[in-house]
Order: sequence, then C-alpha cells, then structure tokens
Amino acid sequence: MPLSLGARWLEWLLCLSLLIQTLEYLRLLPALADDGYAPWRLQRADIPQAWIRRVLDVLFTSAALRAQLLLRLVVLALIALQGSSLGLVMFLFISHLLILIRWRGAFNGGSDFMTLVALTGLLIVHSVALAGNPALGWRAGLWYVCLQSVTSYFVSGWVKLLQPQWRSGKAMPIFLECAVYGPLAPGHVLRHPLLGRLGAWAFIVWECCSPLALWHPLAAWAFCAVALVFHFLVFWFFGLNRFFWAWLVSFPAILACSAQGIF
Amino acid sequence: MDNTPLLVYFLVLLGALVIQTPVISGPWFFLLRAFFPNWKFFHAVGHVPHLFVRFSPNHADWSDWTHIYPRELRRLQHLIHNPQTNLVLTQQNLVEHLANDLNQLPDGADARSLVSYALVAHWVQILGRTLAPQGTHCQFEVRMVLPGLHGPLEQDTMLVSPVMPCL
Repeated sequence: MPLSLGARWLEWLLCLSLLIQTLEYLRLLPALADDGYAPWRLQRADIPQAWIRRVLDVLFTSAALRAQLLLRLVVLALIALQGSSLGLVMFLFISHLLILIRWRGAFNGGSDFMTLVALTGLLIVHSVALAGNPALGWRAGLWYVCLQSVTSYFVSGWVKLLQPQWRSGKAMPIFLECAVYGPLAPGHVLRHPLLGRLGAWAFIVWECCSPLALWHPLAAWAFCAVALVFHFLVFWFFGLNRFFWAWLVSFPAILACSAQGIF
Repeated sequence: MDNTPLLVYFLVLLGALVIQTPVISGPWFFLLRAFFPNWKFFHAVGHVPHLFVRFSPNHADWSDWTHIYPRELRRLQHLIHNPQTNLVLTQQNLVEHLANDLNQLPDGADARSLVSYALVAHWVQILGRTLAPQGTHCQFEVRMVLPGLHGPLEQDTMLVSPVMPCL
C-alpha cells in the first residue's frame, strides 16, 4: 500500500473509531452527571493543583462535555471529507485527553491508548509538514503508528510467553470464565485442555512474531488479516468493541510501512 | 532501508520485559497513563477484587450480599455501539483501582480519604435505586477472588465499608 493511500485510510478509520467512541460517550453522559455513577465533585480530588481543578470544573460540566462531544462529530466529518489538518487533529488530541481525565485516566484501557497513538501520529505528520516537508511528515507519522501497533502485539505476546499458566494453556479458559459475556458453557470447546493450549499457543506465537509483518507486504496483509480475526474474537468473548476499531486504525500504517521494505 | 535500528528496538523491548524496573507513580502519571501504555493485556492469572453490596430497608434486616460483576448479554451490534458493556467494565476497573490504592495505603491511614473509595461508596449508594428501591442503608465489601476454571478457588475480604445511607 503506498504511503499516501495508507495515510488516507488511517484518517478514515480513525474517524470511524472516534465516531463510535464519541456516540458511546454521549450515551454515557448521565453516568458522569452529579447524581450519576462518577460525579465530578468527588473525582476532582484526583487533581492536585487547585487552579487546574477550577479550569476542569468549567470544562467538565454536563453542558460543556456535551458541546465538546458534539463538536467532535463535526471535526470528524470534516476530516473524513477533506482530510486532517494540524488544528483539527490538535482539537481531537486535546478532547481525547480531557475525556480520559474525566474517566480517571482511561475509559477502555488499551483502546484509549491506541487511539492516542493514532492521534499522536497525525500530530507528528502535521508538525513535520508545518516545518516544510509533508512527505517526511507522513512517513514519520505512519512509522510511529506502525511501530506502536507492532510493539503492542509483540509485548503482549512475550509477557504471555513468560507466564507458565499461559504456556500450559490454563490461563485463557480462566480469563474467558471471568469475561463479561462468560462464563463458558460447560461443553465449550475451549474448556478442552488440548484445544485451550493450542489456541493460547497460536496467539502467543502470532503475537511474538508480529515484527515479521514488516518483512514483506504479503506478510503484513496476512498479519493484519489474522489480527482482524483476533480482535473480533476479543470483542466476541470480552466485549471489547473499541479494541477492534482502535487497532484497525493502525493497519494502514503497518501495510504502508511494510511496503517500504524494512528487512 | 537498514533494519538494524528496528532489530535493536525489539531486543531492547524484550530486555525491558525481563528486567524489573521501578514503578513511577503520582496523580498525573495515573491520569495521563495513556501516554505510557505497557501493552500487557490478560498477562497473568491472579486475585481479582470483586465488589459485594447489601441493602437494608430499616438498618436492621439486611439482604444477602449481592455480587456486582460485569456480565452482559452478547449482541453482534455491540461491535459498533456498546456503551453499557464498556461502562460496567470501567466500573470493574474502579474496583481494581480501589484495591490497588488500599494495598498502597500507609498503615493507619483512612481508606475514606481515597478518591477511589469515595467513588465506589457513591456508586453503591446510588445502586440501591435499582437493586433495592426500598433500601435506606447500604454497605459494601471488596473481596479478593482467585478465579479458577469452574468458579472461584478462594476469596478473602479486603475491606468492609461502614453502613451508609442510600442516595
């Protein structure tokens, strides 16, 4: 995939991922209200500096949060239609950070982090472009996203490989037992020790070998195809729909960077 | 393109996984932890904090302890819109943050000074609206549960809250 096409696909997929997140945040605004699950009047004690607390008091009123999320929808539409710019990406970056602070640093863990990676990648793109070299900007931004994404699989695979319970195949069924859509049915195939072990090892080996995706464009396509199935399974068993979209955003970067022939 | 920097990068990553490094903490590190992802998902099976609540309509007759744990019905459309599941997952994260804060609390310190405690207590106080509409008082426990293939293997109570009024 050429860099220019990878860049445009990254923008479109990021818009889709952020659209899904924003609509969910809008739906969950009552949980952040004063009589909701996490009122700001309690949570503001997290902020050590009084002046920052006062600024956030204004930004985190229900009306301000709603306005910010609605403005996000407009910005996403603009980026999807005409492409990103430094101002639009900066708005999304700051908005994403504010929303994360409102949810005590993370709402959905890894998907929040990967979304921040994609936004940082676009910030790199436009900052370097501002310095007079747009081509280098896209290259640097896409490589940043690509490396962070491959790193996420690589680290995730190796930490599992270092755990005896993952190597023996016992960990995966236990995590599935505790999952949001669990527990597993009594006769579920993943309860079978051999299949549980095979499944665990398949994902561990695939994650540990993730840097090989940069070896050849075909390897990258194969890697991304397996990753798509992997993230769908993570959604299916653990309910982590945002992970599916947040990592999908990084696939154009992996495909575009692999086409540059690293190895 | 020269591949050496990439190989070095992944080797350093591997080294960082094996070598124990000090944990940096602080309020802003916590709130801005998205900038420092460790990418360690589901890496180790261990004790997990679980929240249990109970209610009373008169401060005397208490309900049984109710286990508050994220369980939702699976739907394919949740792939594009899943606010409720994501909310219950973030609520479980709050319970995990409370357990972590309790572990780091200095001897003699009051758990009620923790933001995580205040948020869990408030959440339990409003839970009565749906779980026990007649409830006037509530209480919660945090238990550390070791999960197994066929249910919990063991559980220990970590914290019992004082009795609180429902909101």
